[in-house]
Amino acid sequence: MRKRWFLSILTVGVIAAFVGSVVIGLDVARAQAPVRIGVIEPLSGPVAASGNYIRMGAEIARDWLNAKGGVLGRKVELVIEDNKSDPKEAASAAEKLIVRDKVPAIMGAWGSSMTLAAMPKLEEYGVPMVVETSSAASITKRGNPWIFRISPPSEMEAVGLEPYVDKLAIKKADFLAVNTDWGRGSIQAFGDLLKKKGLPVGAAEFMEQSATDMNAQITKIKTTGGDTLFLTTAVEQITLVLKQAQEQRLSRKIVTTGGSSSPTQLIKQAGAAAEGTYHIVFFMPWFPESMPDGKLATAFVDEWAKRGNPFEGLTEGFRGHDGIVTIAEAVKVAGKDDPKAVRDALWRVNLTGVNGPIHFEKDGPAGKESGQSKPSIFIVQIRDGKVALPEFARK
Amino acid sequence: MRRAAGILLALAALTLPLWIANAYFLHVVIMAGIFGVLASSLNLLLGYTGQLSLGHAAFFGIGAYASALLTLRWEWSFWLALPAAVLAAGIAGWAIGRLALKLRGAYFVLVTISFAGVIALVSINWMDLTNGPLGLPGVPAPELGPWSLRTKSAYYYLVLAAVALAYEVCRRLVHSRIGRAFVALRENESLAESVGVDGTRYLVLAAVVSAGLAGLAGSLYAHYTRFVSPEVFLFTYTVTMVIMVVAGGKGTLAGPLVGAVLFTILPEALRAATSWQWQMLAYGVILVVLVFFLPRGIVPTFFR
Amino acid sequence: MDQLLQHLVNGLVLGGTYALLGIGLTLIFGLMNVVNFAHGEFYTLGAYATFAALTLADLNFFAALGLAIVCGLVVGAVTEFLLVRPLRRESIDTVMLVMIGVWIAMQNSELLVWGGVAKSIPHPFSTTPLTLGGVSLAPLRLFVLVAALGLIVGAHLLIHRTRLGRAMRATFQDADTAALMGVRIRRIYTATFAIGSGLAAAAGALLGPVFIAYPSMGDLASLKAFSVVILGGLGNIAGATVGGLVLGVAEELGAGYVSSGYRDAVGFVIIIAVLLLRPSGLFARAERVG
Repeated sequence: MRKRWFLSILTVGVIAAFVGSVVIGLDVARAQAPVRIGVIEPLSGPVAASGNYIRMGAEIARDWLNAKGGVLGRKVELVIEDNKSDPKEAASAAEKLIVRDKVPAIMGAWGSSMTLAAMPKLEEYGVPMVVETSSAASITKRGNPWIFRISPPSEMEAVGLEPYVDKLAIKKADFLAVNTDWGRGSIQAFGDLLKKKGLPVGAAEFMEQSATDMNAQITKIKTTGGDTLFLTTAVEQITLVLKQAQEQRLSRKIVTTGGSSSPTQLIKQAGAAAEGTYHIVFFMPWFPESMPDGKLATAFVDEWAKRGNPFEGLTEGFRGHDGIVTIAEAVKVAGKDDPKAVRDALWRVNLTGVNGPIHFEKDGPAGKESGQSKPSIFIVQIRDGKVALPEFARK
Repeated sequence: MRRAAGILLALAALTLPLWIANAYFLHVVIMAGIFGVLASSLNLLLGYTGQLSLGHAAFFGIGAYASALLTLRWEWSFWLALPAAVLAAGIAGWAIGRLALKLRGAYFVLVTISFAGVIALVSINWMDLTNGPLGLPGVPAPELGPWSLRTKSAYYYLVLAAVALAYEVCRRLVHSRIGRAFVALRENESLAESVGVDGTRYLVLAAVVSAGLAGLAGSLYAHYTRFVSPEVFLFTYTVTMVIMVVAGGKGTLAGPLVGAVLFTILPEALRAATSWQWQMLAYGVILVVLVFFLPRGIVPTFFR
Repeated sequence: MDQLLQHLVNGLVLGGTYALLGIGLTLIFGLMNVVNFAHGEFYTLGAYATFAALTLADLNFFAALGLAIVCGLVVGAVTEFLLVRPLRRESIDTVMLVMIGVWIAMQNSELLVWGGVAKSIPHPFSTTPLTLGGVSLAPLRLFVLVAALGLIVGAHLLIHRTRLGRAMRATFQDADTAALMGVRIRRIYTATFAIGSGLAAAAGALLGPVFIAYPSMGDLASLKAFSVVILGGLGNIAGATVGGLVLGVAEELGAGYVSSGYRDAVGFVIIIAVLLLRPSGLFARAERVG
């Protein structure tokens, strides 16, 4: 008897929650509605840290915008969804944001597979998405005119490194990357760069996203006779690789790519093992004055610290800020928060975010181009337990 | 009484797109249907033969990849790719059945997990075939003559038909001699064998049908989400299936369907009702509470 | 050749902790018939408990490890008492489902409490590796290996030389007879689950400082634990020990010589192969426990 009771309560409860939330959603939509921006990030699962940093950055952008009066005289509201590092969830989240919350634009979805999974929904409903992190080339080359990316694909990163290749004195390089589209794309792009310069590549090893023991790969790399190791993965795995490389006495130049290396966290967690390593980053929170808009960058770093957010998250968190201000600017230019108008306006935005100037150029098949911005790319080095500009990069 | 309820339910299902116009709701219903087929397939093994397969995501994924590759690379029609996907998954099921010939219980479970693990790694590493972690975007939507089944309502009917098909296949199987053999094997294998029931042959049969149905679900999934990546082999899919079958009521025909509907709606309802920090935690707690109060599953408790 | 030794050493260190996980699970799965998907979460609990003890309570490293193990024991006992005991009469799938719920709940509470950022666990050992004939080994890893072996021996002694161990073995050979002989069955079950979880926590506490602590670290651990259990034979502690070491070494060799991408596949393939040839595991015997 108690079982039936319980079951009925549960069923009624679940359905009520579902229906109720829809009703409430409808209600809000009728009032003097805020400008709602959808955010899809991995807030749980193995890359929860990154997703949360981006969320924190987005929240700073939202609060700054609202402090200045919002957009079009209306408050900015973020509708944040967790894609649980699962493409299926990313697609469901996009659907919910578009249909239920009626957002005019979305920022997301961090990982390239998540972004790719959500893309058909964008086309189905005609809603633009600003891609803040994903690096797979295919995202802007698939002919989806609702995609606007502010992060650099791996190819652009390699181009950004090109001027420094000679200065780094690379003679033979090995690759160690996470076995995802990001890692593979990186190996492809930097491999092509080296080939262009006529430099040989030694080994190209992979590690699973959740792997913690890379000793086998390091042992193999030790035998190639290379002098540089390109490392592409998230900061936790970089920490492990550096520690294990130190244990195995792997002595060579290490260059991390992808911008997720969070050098501050590396110094804290890998200690001496991180000494001398180079990192390609898209934001330098250690000397924000040197960023294209020094004042904005410095203010961002200060606000981040004021909120008690971890310093190491800045190298990723800025993406959340830049994505939101880009969308807000587009809404302003469009004059209304209608998805199609916002999409058209995105082609006309010209602003400076924490990373630098944001302006979209056409990318992909003619007639169905996506937008790709050209972000600024920097290289830093860990020296004496601190982050500094490498000798050759000093102006 | 039951007949009337059944007819009412069928009518409701057939006219659903008319009274649920909200695209997001339709999306949830379609996903529930796909998982319904998937849960039913797992139920054949788990509920009726008593063997737990924790590698079922492998058959789902094989079906999804087969269907996606055939339509993307070799431009097959969806209507040919679908049965091919079922066949591919069925063959994998046969392989598992024969591999695990003498294994029962925990050992069978482990082999299924290992098999799924290997397939998952192959899909990530065999770049030439599966495009590895980049996945296969742009899987085409099915077409019926001049009409594209891209719209939600159209796809809903496709999934509904698949659910009905899966239900019917399971029902026929379960109520036949074969089905009785399954149950006999589940209850007491040595006794069943002593009266001439060939345990291995029936297990392999169950594995093949079960895998084939999972492959059907996989193909439907691939053409609905239009993006297939190695994440379909994630253990969470298997876990979700198991939850649906056991909480819904294993060993019953309606149980997995009820479970699929409930556990597809639940995460989405949580998404709407709570902020992202509490969603999964609430999900886990609700699961524990549900199992505690209804240890035999929803359908057996309610309807027996 | 140099490399081979290095791979072997790496593999043994990992294998020792796999063995701990396996022994813990073989007690719970093999003896209590509980498909404990939350086993990996106790591993995670061990790592986070160590972290908390070191950073919040400022304890000595070894005390922190001890505390982590105690944490595993206590939480394990509580879990058994609240969630497993009342469902004793239900089917194995029902209990499995509850453990899945516990898994989800535990992992997400850790996410809530500690956030998604991985935590580095400080340790007192020097980071300069010891070198022995071309093989480099960090002092911390040596400690982990020794500690793991010590705990494994401890588990063996517990099962074979103590009254509790004897009661456990009796219960699992035949619960009804054991009850008739005066064994408090329910307490034995609680103790078993607690010890199994404590061992998992120990593995987490030991490996935490070697790698890092993050909420989903237990998922792979669970899977590996199940592999070790089946490899060694359900309920067979010696089997789990050898199974764990074998798995660790096989993974290392596979990653080193075959392909790093297919690293985990090596473990899976071995399992499939072993089960095909010896369907009850490497060390199956008619009896369970021991």
